[in-house]
Amino acid sequence: MRFSHRYVYLLMIAVVAIPIVCGFSTKPARMISAERMYSVVENVSFAEGDIALVWLDFGPNTIAENGAQAEVLLEHLFRRRIPVLLLSQYPLSEGLLKTIPVKVANKLKLEMPEQEWKYGESWINGGYKPGSGNYIQSLVASSDISAFLGRDVLGMPIVHYPAFAKVTGVEKIKLVGEITGLTGVFDTIIQFFQKKGYRPTFVHGCTSITIPEAYIFLDSKQLHGLLEGIAGAAWYGELLQRSFPQSSHKDLLLTNTALGAAQIAIILLIVAGNVVSLYSWSKRRRD
Amino acid sequence: MDSRTALIRIFTFLGGIYFFFHFIVPESALEAIGIKDAHPGISNGFIVIGAMAIGLGIINLVAGHGSHVLFKRRGWVFSAVLLFSLITTLGVTTAQWLRNRAVSNELQRIYVIGEFANRILSDASDAKSPKSFSPTGELPKLEFRVQALAKYARAVLEEVGRVSLESRGDTDQQSVALREDLHNHQNLLVTDLDTVETASWESLSGSNKRFLERLSKHSSGYATAFSVIRRRDAERGFIPKLYTVLYTGIFENLGAAMFALLGVYIAAAAFRAFRVRSMESTLMMVAALVVMLGQISFGKWIYNDMPALRQWLLEIPNSAVFRAIRFGAAVAGLMLAIRMWFSIESKTSSEER
Repeated sequence: MRFSHRYVYLLMIAVVAIPIVCGFSTKPARMISAERMYSVVENVSFAEGDIALVWLDFGPNTIAENGAQAEVLLEHLFRRRIPVLLLSQYPLSEGLLKTIPVKVANKLKLEMPEQEWKYGESWINGGYKPGSGNYIQSLVASSDISAFLGRDVLGMPIVHYPAFAKVTGVEKIKLVGEITGLTGVFDTIIQFFQKKGYRPTFVHGCTSITIPEAYIFLDSKQLHGLLEGIAGAAWYGELLQRSFPQSSHKDLLLTNTALGAAQIAIILLIVAGNVVSLYSWSKRRRD
Repeated sequence: MDSRTALIRIFTFLGGIYFFFHFIVPESALEAIGIKDAHPGISNGFIVIGAMAIGLGIINLVAGHGSHVLFKRRGWVFSAVLLFSLITTLGVTTAQWLRNRAVSNELQRIYVIGEFANRILSDASDAKSPKSFSPTGELPKLEFRVQALAKYARAVLEEVGRVSLESRGDTDQQSVALREDLHNHQNLLVTDLDTVETASWESLSGSNKRFLERLSKHSSGYATAFSVIRRRDAERGFIPKLYTVLYTGIFENLGAAMFALLGVYIAAAAFRAFRVRSMESTLMMVAALVVMLGQISFGKWIYNDMPALRQWLLEIPNSAVFRAIRFGAAVAGLMLAIRMWFSIESKTSSEER
């Protein structure tokens, strides 16, 4: 049976667009690994001078999933007033390293006008770092992380930022977050971001495609929390809203609902494809 | 084998053997032979070589697509667009980097005031130890150092302060508030400098210490207020706006659109290719349905424990299978690494020629 792709494309556009245009959203599904991650981020203890390191290793191609994950993770860390160092192993993320934390800070400022989340205090952008495994090994071996990193993307020595000046050894990095849609990037961090007597808390945000691979690290406890695609980010947003009722993740819920509708459409297409196939097969047999 | 190929093979082998031994030799042995201290430098050398790939990539792009444009080969227009985009993006990002760097240099001049004051304080608390930066191991007189500090701070305030307090025609409430804040910080710093200049600096008394501490604190406050204004000004120029158009306006949307096509391909494939023809394909389809339904809101409407079922599938059968795949891939990777290490993987380009 011949069937034009155009109808499928039109169906998908309609299915994704309708919830977004109509502003229809549903409560996200419960994601157990996102719950673990929320609990981990909430309970990691940070002393003065400790920081979180978040790798944003994604570009515009996976921004729908990874962007939402980065936002909820940064929102949680900012709410806890934990200074965040942002780095990337992916050159195309350069613009996102700038815009995502600003977006989160502005959102929080809107929610709490009396408080501020400023560059240099709440976060700094270390930029793109080439060298992958070699770079991570050097970073971990360094006795003075601020000096090792040198300057941020603005060209400012990191030691001038009070919240980051006291970051000496890698032990000051209590939590490492990795948001990526790439394969092989997260494994490198798990493998090399540790040394004798030091292993930070690892959390990871991945796209739906790389979920199965991430689960082996979650199962082995090398990974302490996982955000699975938009669905994971949406449930994380729901958990944030439970703790901070004034927070809103309307856009995230809309995207998640649209994605859910698209997946229902795909399931129906699979069923329809099989029904058509079965019908054709039985017709051939009859003939 | 020509000398070039031999050289490449020797370097590949040496690079491989270095990292191999660095991994297996105990840390104490590495320390004894001095490798532990040298390793960061060696590692950085490899990072620099890796970073050169970016430059090589640019050269390849310009050579390949440049020849397309020059000789007007088929599809030369696309090559021209690519080269134009490359040059524009490089130009804009370099200009922005230079601009940020200039602001940071201005800021650093202010930070030096506080650092200088803190250094005087820390040297005084540790007066007996010889100072490495002084050829004689002795410090200049306290009075001389404080005078130098005050002179430097005045010069910075004169130059930097003049630039930062210019109104630039900003009349919005936030700009006025920011400049007022900067003005207040500047006044505090000037008052501190007046105090420092009039005080006696024969010794570092308790009150003198407080003067320097205050100067350090206020210079830091001034630097912060200054940075907010200068970064804000820097973000308003033509170059940052052009960058926003290029990255957020064009690149982000194009990138997202390319990946979004995957969605419609999957939908088309779901209809045409996902057929239940065997036990294995039935299992695969059931697993796919559970995983999909388990992560969407509507899944719970069908079966309440769908998310838990999905979780079980991913944690137990999926993890087992993926570990097996990873083990297989790791063994293959090891074989590939050994072949590369001994340069027996394939012919080099020069050998092919």
